[in-house]
Amino acid sequence: MSSPAPHDSSSHSSVWAGRSTEVGLALAVVVVLLVAGSLDSNHSYWRDPGASAHEILRKTVILGIFALGSAVVIIAGGIDLSIGSMIAFGGATFAAVLLALSPQNMKSGHLAPGHLALATGATLLVGFLVGSLHAWLITAVRLPPFVATLATLVGLRSLGRAMVEAINRGLLHSSSTQINVLDPVFRGWVNSIWTRVAAFVILAALFWLLMTRTVVGRRLFALGGNEAATRLSGIRTERLKWLAYCLSAMCASLAGILYVGEQSVADPQTLGRGYELNAIAAAVVGGCSLQGGVGTIPGVALGCLFLNTVIDSINKVIKSGADLYEGLIVGIVVVVAVTYSQLRGAAGRGKQFFAGALGWVAIVTLALIAAALLALWIGRGAALAGGLAALALLALVRFWESRQANA
Amino acid sequence: MIAPLISIRGVTKRYPGVLALDDVSFDVYPGDFHAIVGENGAGKSTLMKILAGVVTEFDGEILLRGQPMRFRGTRDAEQAGVSIIHQELNLVEQISAAANIFLGRELRGRFGLLDERAMRSAAADLLGQLECRVRPEQPVSTLRVGDQQLVEIAKALSLKSEILIMDEPTSALTESEVERLFRVINRLRSQGVTILYISHKMDEVFANANRVTVLRDGRHVQTLAAADASPRQITHAMVGREIEETDLSAPRQPGDVVLEVENLSLPWPGHARAFRLENISFSLRRGEIVGIAGLMGAGRTELLECLFGAAPQRPQGRLSLAGREVRFRHPADARRAGLALVTEDRKRLGLFAHLNVADNINICTLGEAASAGVLSYRREIERATEIANRLGVKSAGVRAAITSLSGGNQQKAIIGRWLLTRPQVLLLDDPTRGIDVGAKAELYRLMDRLCRDGLAILVTSSELPELLTVSDRILVLCEGRKTAEFTRAEATEQRIMEAATRRTDAA
Repeated sequence: MSSPAPHDSSSHSSVWAGRSTEVGLALAVVVVLLVAGSLDSNHSYWRDPGASAHEILRKTVILGIFALGSAVVIIAGGIDLSIGSMIAFGGATFAAVLLALSPQNMKSGHLAPGHLALATGATLLVGFLVGSLHAWLITAVRLPPFVATLATLVGLRSLGRAMVEAINRGLLHSSSTQINVLDPVFRGWVNSIWTRVAAFVILAALFWLLMTRTVVGRRLFALGGNEAATRLSGIRTERLKWLAYCLSAMCASLAGILYVGEQSVADPQTLGRGYELNAIAAAVVGGCSLQGGVGTIPGVALGCLFLNTVIDSINKVIKSGADLYEGLIVGIVVVVAVTYSQLRGAAGRGKQFFAGALGWVAIVTLALIAAALLALWIGRGAALAGGLAALALLALVRFWESRQANA
Repeated sequence: MIAPLISIRGVTKRYPGVLALDDVSFDVYPGDFHAIVGENGAGKSTLMKILAGVVTEFDGEILLRGQPMRFRGTRDAEQAGVSIIHQELNLVEQISAAANIFLGRELRGRFGLLDERAMRSAAADLLGQLECRVRPEQPVSTLRVGDQQLVEIAKALSLKSEILIMDEPTSALTESEVERLFRVINRLRSQGVTILYISHKMDEVFANANRVTVLRDGRHVQTLAAADASPRQITHAMVGREIEETDLSAPRQPGDVVLEVENLSLPWPGHARAFRLENISFSLRRGEIVGIAGLMGAGRTELLECLFGAAPQRPQGRLSLAGREVRFRHPADARRAGLALVTEDRKRLGLFAHLNVADNINICTLGEAASAGVLSYRREIERATEIANRLGVKSAGVRAAITSLSGGNQQKAIIGRWLLTRPQVLLLDDPTRGIDVGAKAELYRLMDRLCRDGLAILVTSSELPELLTVSDRILVLCEGRKTAEFTRAEATEQRIMEAATRRTDAA
């Protein structure tokens, strides 16, 4: 969703271009809130805006923390699929270090500030090491980033689980695969919305400075835009990648600590499962190109806000089944946002979405998805009517498209 | 009077910000060898892509055998008997020559399974007609460029094409391959195939074409019988102005040796030749321009990459810079030591298309526009503006997108990028590729000026007249070896070509 320059959509500079992605996202957030507020029979957005804002913000900032790291990797032309597992591994490391430092305090739920600081430092260090491992696999072993981080996506979670089990057996003589972190002071602090917002705002400001105002940031954009040219400009691309993957893993491990505070337990089996895709989705919705070289930090922050606003407002409208549809919503938002940004560019002109046999199958598939959602949310009658309506509408689009193409 | 085979009527093609073709009209008659000439950016390739169904959106009309045709893709065009051989070949390198020829129209036998035997024998037949001695089952990646091109032509023949469009087909070929290609083309013409041929090379055009169409800035200038025209007349029509003779005859005074190369070799693992470069020695003085001549694959680019620490393998041999032995493991080492490389493939290896002109200029020296790692926009803009003015980069300011500049101005911006590193040695890899004639002359003068200021320049080119214009000395490479070295006085196109093909044809 980068902004087209007056004459030529391909001739804009990513960093300095007008802020149309950001403005568009901010407007989209407002529109979603207004629409959801009127559709919602409880009108909870009007009646209790504070609580809704709190809920959306809480989720936005924690997603934002690891989405920032993910976005840096994407801008530098890579991808980090391991984020969800890194969140779990970071959380597990944090709890495990606390447990190892003082099993007694963990049980009583009164942790020493020194121990908390040490555990946080250790968790960030583990993030640094995992990021370095990624960078090594990618630059020295020359694995594609997709493969390197897919390996840690699978590997870290099971390592985290084994680590937690071993430490529980050794220190508590239990075979539990999770560690409880009950300290009320730590939890109160971590769960305070103000701490979280402050942490996110500071982090985002630092990342924004890094990406727009420093030599390293400019080089990260160059790396993502044209890796070969960057190397031939005498720039050490492997060091830039090292930095990018470390930032990503460290952001994820920081998010892991926050999740442990929120859930008062570190369970590496379930913590952060699938969150890497939310982070990538937020970055893409926020205007990052998966080809690299394009993206902004404010865009990513707004991408996180937009995703969570949509999720929250759909929850408000349909009331029940809150978490059930989160993945579905993220998927739809990504497809719609990226399609929209392509349509705005020159490539979108005269594009046919529903041509040929594949077009018909896609029309049927989309109508079925619409019908399934209506069946779940409203009822069978609505599903039938809505499905048929979608079918008719999409068929009409196809007809119109083919007429445009032949004209 | 015969009816035209193809009539192009008022064809206009607009890209965002550029009018690539502006109301072009002319006719092509059956059996012609019709050359399309023009400077880079004249619209030749765009027009051919429209004819071949690669570009499908345009204004105007194309008549084929008197019938209006509007191709919706290359498949439509192929069915109508029009095939195109692109400058950058369109083959799947991993699969065999036969599989490429029948790609998309695979022959099938019983049960709908592939009939490899039939395809192989048909491919062998086609390749045989083209004097191409490759086995049909050979993967395309193992073929020489000249043979790959014949595989594409074989594909066009298998489609029974009546119209064959060729976009600068000889730019990568050796002399004997060029001769073979023209023998093949003449045979095809005698079978009634019409050839549309894009070229830069006047001698080729006049030796083969019977009609010539000149395009300039997207407009049709004239179409005339080759017999009625002279190369000079055509060049004049292409440029639209007299080419100013670049006068660089005032002798330069070379200073001390700055770069000394001794027995440089670059291994080539897993290849029959074992070395991409073998035992190359030469020296380069301050204030001197040394040209490197050689055909495609002779090792010109590899030599420059080797010097710049960017070679895929570790080179062997000695390299000294201003008397001190140096060894570059990474382009960063070379840059710090005072070398600069302007790459051949500007789009892939030089430009940052997402960044603006100022960023593109500053990318190598960002540290100098920053304090403690934090960039100063003001200093960035100042530095970029200063160098852009000095080199005469024409743009809508340094904040403009780099992609909005013409090829020549992009090249000047990249040279500016490297001048900011204050290099001692400038390596220019085919710097005028894809640049129009006027901008070329400007680049030659720039090189001369930089040289007079004490820079040492090593330049490669695929165009011999260019090397003869700018160089004080010329080294000739052939298959990774240095086969000759000429001073400016000794060098002639004839002698250079001989040295450049010395081993090629024996191999």
